[in-house]
Amino acid sequence: MIWPELVRSTSFRRALMLVAALTAIIVALFGFVYWKTDSYLTARSDQMIMTQLNVISLLSDQRLLDAIDAHLRQDSRGVQFAGLFGADGSRLAGNIARLPPGLKTGTPAHGVQIMAIRGSSLENRVVQGVARQLPDGEVLVIGRLVDETVDVARVIGQALGLGLVFALGLCLVAGALASIRASKRVEEVSTRVQRIVAGDLHERLPQTNDGDPFSKLAAIVNGMLDEMETLIHALAGVGNDIAHDLRTPLTRARLTLERGRANAVTLEQLQATADKTITGIDQSLAIITALLRLAEIENSRRSAGFGVVALDQLLREVCDIYEPIAENRDIALKVKASPELSVHGDRDLLIEAVANLVDNAIKFTPAGGRVDIDLIRGEGESVVRVSDTGRGISEGERDAVLRRFYRSEKDRKTPGVGLGLNLVAAIVKLHGFRLAIFPGPGCRVEIACPDQVP
Amino acid sequence: MTAAIPRIGATTRGALAFPAIGKSLMTKILLIEDDGETAEEVTAELVERGFDVEWSADGTAGLASARSSGPDVLIVDRMLPGMDGLSIIETLRQEQVRTPVLVLSALGAIDDRVRGLRAGGDDYLTKPFAILELVARIEALLRRPVQSRETTLRVGALELDLIERTARRGAREIDLLPREFRLLEYMMQRCDQLLTRAMLLEEVWNYKFVPATNLVDVHMGRLRHKVDGPNETPMIHNVRGAGFILRTPT
Repeated sequence: MIWPELVRSTSFRRALMLVAALTAIIVALFGFVYWKTDSYLTARSDQMIMTQLNVISLLSDQRLLDAIDAHLRQDSRGVQFAGLFGADGSRLAGNIARLPPGLKTGTPAHGVQIMAIRGSSLENRVVQGVARQLPDGEVLVIGRLVDETVDVARVIGQALGLGLVFALGLCLVAGALASIRASKRVEEVSTRVQRIVAGDLHERLPQTNDGDPFSKLAAIVNGMLDEMETLIHALAGVGNDIAHDLRTPLTRARLTLERGRANAVTLEQLQATADKTITGIDQSLAIITALLRLAEIENSRRSAGFGVVALDQLLREVCDIYEPIAENRDIALKVKASPELSVHGDRDLLIEAVANLVDNAIKFTPAGGRVDIDLIRGEGESVVRVSDTGRGISEGERDAVLRRFYRSEKDRKTPGVGLGLNLVAAIVKLHGFRLAIFPGPGCRVEIACPDQVP
Repeated sequence: MTAAIPRIGATTRGALAFPAIGKSLMTKILLIEDDGETAEEVTAELVERGFDVEWSADGTAGLASARSSGPDVLIVDRMLPGMDGLSIIETLRQEQVRTPVLVLSALGAIDDRVRGLRAGGDDYLTKPFAILELVARIEALLRRPVQSRETTLRVGALELDLIERTARRGAREIDLLPREFRLLEYMMQRCDQLLTRAMLLEEVWNYKFVPATNLVDVHMGRLRHKVDGPNETPMIHNVRGAGFILRTPT
């Protein structure tokens, strides 16, 4: 059952490819070794018969005939041939029946066909042979059968063949093992991932420390899962906050309706009930709208709406809008935007960000205080600073104010949704700017807009 | 006509505080909206205000009605069965139909809004909306100010000189800051018409978001203080829970 799957698996197919490549290499290797061995043995044999020819040809008469006999007698394998022929071509001695017609005298050894005498019969043989004409006109022929190459080739071939069989077996086994191992791990990962998908956020992929790529991958995925788990918990926290903040006005609305229904006797009383209820519902809707807006900005990747925004004008505009509000609360709202600085950004969003900061500043500054909007030229950046004479944000609260729905306990009575600074932070981040909050006395918030947004 | 306008609180519906112009003209409204309950509420409200309302629950039928019955204004939901709202508007605009369209949508994102207006919608309202917001915007679409060559706007005794940038009420000079002037100009062009806070934020201050503080009320309070003197009949009226009207005095 596992076999068809095994054969289909990538690792196994890779092993098969490896086997094919290995076979090709070994066959080529065999061919090369054969060719080299053959030429080496032939060369050695040629050298040998040339030496023999040289030695024997120096002898004369009876000694020459004895030498030929001795030469042939020493040959137990029957690979040596010799012959002495008269000037007329008649055989004088040796085991070669007649002077081979293709044999040239005085040349290096070469392949030639001879008629060899084997006991009482004659055999055709192809040998490496040399011939030399002796001073008295006789011709001396020395030949040698070079068949050792075939033996050697057989041995080498056997060795390589055997090696090949082992190598192939090993490859197949390794391939199968790797494939089984991989599919096992995939199966395990799949099981665990299914558990994660089913909602078990604590589940992680199996991981060893042996540095194998699969484990490294698992480590990466586990890291991602850790991050996601944290985020999901954070989100759940935000969800709880949202639920709480939505429930409060809705509860009030419900109570009002309930009491109104039971107690209202005149139309005016009923209308008052309805108005109060609508206010509560509107508050809930405002929270939802603010959250959606926040999500919209946070998820926004677009910079299509970006253009050149004159910060000095923008600040004066925000000041203009908020001046009457500040005046009503007896707060001096002043803008100092003398340098003409512009940035690359979305004008509407930047107005929203600055307006939110100014809104906050006015809200948290007691009567008689002041709120300043300044445009400053920093080092390689333009800085929008909103500062007030309120009680400021303490060091400990600095991170908390950027949390959704965070409102200092002392501010619970101030109207607001508690998402304002989140919006500012999201807008600032979208632009690649920096938001800095400085601890009191008096609150100071800065949006630093680098000239070159990275 | 103005005698027919009920005073705030003196009516069974506090909302009916501005003239129902539909009554005299029998203005025809085509509502293309697939949610039955929303459609019912909207229809009831508009009929009560004297409009003649036709309702279509799906896109294809809605487009057919728009072609055949020739409404004065269209209210189109974006997500509809059959054919989506923006396609309806685009089709009508290609057929050279210039009827004003108010787009309704549960999608509030700025991009969606821009897309809705680009498709040929004249105004865009995000769900959930206050019914008065819807009515105010429909009236605004029906009574878009005529581009006139007049350089002086007049409502009752109130006069606004657009060239000199001066304002007067009868013999009394009114000293206005530039932002107050802009607000009054907008209101005078749309007198006797309910202007909601959202409309004012969008049109006068070019704000694409609703700020935390009630900006509009503060600005309006200042303007009212200047326009309506202590012994004069008030002209700027607050419509509870909805917005403001600059009303021609009787």
